[in-house]
Amino acid sequence: MIELLGLRKEFENVLAVDDLNLKISKGEIFGLIGPNGAGKTTTIRMACGLLAPTQGRALANGIDVAREPERAQQYIGYLSDFFAVYEDLKVWEYLDYFAHAYKMPEAEIPARITEVIAQVNLEVKRDAMIRGLSRGMKQRLGIARAIIHRPQVMLLDEPASGLDPKARLELRSLLLGLRDQGATILISSHILTELEGFCTSIGIMEKGRMVRSGSIAEVTAAATTSRLVRLTWAGDSLAVAQEKLAGDPRVSEVNLTTGAGTFRFSGAEEDLATVLGSLVEAKVQVTSFGEAKQTVEELYMKLSTHEVM
Amino acid sequence: MPRFWTNPEFVRHRRAELRPVRAVTVAVVVLVMCVLLGLACWSYEQNLLENAQRGAETFATQAWQDRLDRMQRDFAPIIWLLFYRWLVGLQGVALTFWTLFSCAQSVSGERDRKTWDFQRTTRLTSTEILIGKILGEPILVYFAVLCAAPVTLIAGLAGGLSFGTVISVFVFLASTSLFLGFGGMWLSTLLESRTRGVGLIGALALYGFTLASYGLRESGLPGLAAMSPLIAIIDLVLGKVPGPFHFTPVLFGHEVSWLLMNLLLCGSFSAWLALMLIRNLKRDYPDIRPLSRWQAVGCAAFLNFLIYALLSPGRFGDTLSGTVRGGQFPDAKSVAVFAVAINGLILFLMGLATLTPQERLKVWRRKLSAGESAVFADDGLPWPWLGISAVVAYAMMIWGLLAWDHALPLDSGTLQAAAIRLLLVAVFVTRDVLFLQWCILTRLRQPVVKGVLFLGLYYAAAAVLTALATISSEESGRWVLALLTPVQVFDPRIHGMAFPPATYVGLLVQMGIIGTVLAAITNRLQRPLRIGAAA
Repeated sequence: MIELLGLRKEFENVLAVDDLNLKISKGEIFGLIGPNGAGKTTTIRMACGLLAPTQGRALANGIDVAREPERAQQYIGYLSDFFAVYEDLKVWEYLDYFAHAYKMPEAEIPARITEVIAQVNLEVKRDAMIRGLSRGMKQRLGIARAIIHRPQVMLLDEPASGLDPKARLELRSLLLGLRDQGATILISSHILTELEGFCTSIGIMEKGRMVRSGSIAEVTAAATTSRLVRLTWAGDSLAVAQEKLAGDPRVSEVNLTTGAGTFRFSGAEEDLATVLGSLVEAKVQVTSFGEAKQTVEELYMKLSTHEVM
Repeated sequence: MPRFWTNPEFVRHRRAELRPVRAVTVAVVVLVMCVLLGLACWSYEQNLLENAQRGAETFATQAWQDRLDRMQRDFAPIIWLLFYRWLVGLQGVALTFWTLFSCAQSVSGERDRKTWDFQRTTRLTSTEILIGKILGEPILVYFAVLCAAPVTLIAGLAGGLSFGTVISVFVFLASTSLFLGFGGMWLSTLLESRTRGVGLIGALALYGFTLASYGLRESGLPGLAAMSPLIAIIDLVLGKVPGPFHFTPVLFGHEVSWLLMNLLLCGSFSAWLALMLIRNLKRDYPDIRPLSRWQAVGCAAFLNFLIYALLSPGRFGDTLSGTVRGGQFPDAKSVAVFAVAINGLILFLMGLATLTPQERLKVWRRKLSAGESAVFADDGLPWPWLGISAVVAYAMMIWGLLAWDHALPLDSGTLQAAAIRLLLVAVFVTRDVLFLQWCILTRLRQPVVKGVLFLGLYYAAAAVLTALATISSEESGRWVLALLTPVQVFDPRIHGMAFPPATYVGLLVQMGIIGTVLAAITNRLQRPLRIGAAA
């Protein structure tokens, strides 16, 4: 579990993060979205103890990261957008170093190194010098470092920004695997498609403040006062469909062409069924009918410009 | 330092630096160098012996024959001793130089490679990281010295030195290199990648100072020379050679060994550096603050204590013992003036060590306005603590001068005049430190470095102005000097409390300037924040 309580950070004359409150429950994947300079990296660096907050507290598994850093670090895995590694070590030596640095029980370390190396597909490079690895392999090694001590809290700052598509998919499945094992994940990104279908909740940051946060459903509901509905039909029923929809006071922005179209509906989800019923009654041969779900990207674009519909 | 060999940071360095092939290569190179050095020493002495033989044959005098006999008798020990001295000299230079420079690049190097953040987010404590780095960064040179150690030991013993002397030299060099390692580490924590060049210059300066401290054997604080590795290479190996070139350090007037003095000084300075490193190693760069306020006061007290503990009042050419002690303090007044001058430097360094980062100062200011903080808070301005440090320094001066009363009789006028001198110096230092604090609140890059450079320019300009004013009259020169700098209080023509009026006018002018700088700082602290991240 991650808790950020009244977190604030000032740099010289700039207020980077202002009174940030956030609670991410166990097993949740929270996506932190925002433009460059919104305060995402500062927030994550405070959450993992790299930056001391000007005010407020960051808790990892209930432990204050600033007050008890060494105790808190046993629960935290940190991954940033750069994958710097010690080039003069072998792959297994690098992981052995971090396993010892995280003070894992001595007896567990060899097996854990083997396990993590397998997770990131570096088995054949186990005894290779790191300086001889490709960039992608070094990135995978960086991921292995972050999870070597089985962290219960993962803090990821734009982790996929330097990864190729295959490595991104691997990282994604790795993180989902960690989530399934009960890890809590806070991930920041401005590549919004990266978070699509992956995060259980999101927070949108702008100018150091959390503009909106919650589960994707909650944020969508909060950002939307009407639903965008898509429908398609067979046959020549354009006029009938237009007439039926225009007669419903809850319907607006009707935009129909031959066989397909969209409209906005301001009622509840169950009321939408009555609209479908009336179309079917009017002999419109509806082939598909449903709410067009907003992507994280669309949500972000609305909320970040404060354009709440 | 328990079980340092299992320290992950040490193990990392050992694995990276001492892979079997490299270790074997280093060992072989060291042994080959030892052999070559041994042969060179043998060749040199053989040459001298042959010259002596030719001299004895040519001149056929008893003196030449005696010399030849002596050389033939001591031929082997002389070669071994020469060999030993070369070995110790090379090891001493390699050990101290390498340790300093490898440690001086440790943290800044990690910052440069961007691996530092990952190390900071492990469960390693600052102490563990420090031990791992101090012992791990120079591991290659430690190994090389270890390889040469048996040869050195044999050479020393065969050269006629006692086992204790040979071990003393090793301990001395180890202690000095550890001190330099701590100094290098501290420098490296202060540096970001773009200022690594400055750090290397700093490391060179530290090394130069440590070597040059050898010259302090003849000063009023001869013990300070024990910081220099040259003491191990020259004085310890030479042993107690009677005559005018033998110097010994003193502690409270009692002669002590160079090794003990070295352990005391390097140990205590290393402890202060270790304290600063442990406080700051895992902090983010802008949050680094070398010492807390009370620690800074303690450090000022410790440095003052050293002045009186290492003091060697002027006793030149002690014919009874056949030794010479350094000493440049003929009376208590000269000690007091020296202590005031040194305290100018100490207070300035303490001021530097306690400058508050902009963010913390702004929070303190807000809390102060809300009545939740105090002027003496740890995040506040440094001036109250400079005042406390000055008071402590004066108290130490009273204690020190009273302790030396038997050798340097003290009169109350000396203490009163020293109080005025110290007050004036403290006021100037406070002004300069507050100026640096103001620089931190501006948007200057590397504000402290630039602030110190501005201060250097200011004092250079003050010197030029004084020189110009002196052209019209000496009195005008004195006035300019007194108004712009604290130098005038050290004028040897001032007796007792007879300070010229310019001194007091200068004091008032500086207090006015301090008020102005404080107002400028307050003004900066009250500026509103811009919203948006900068990181």
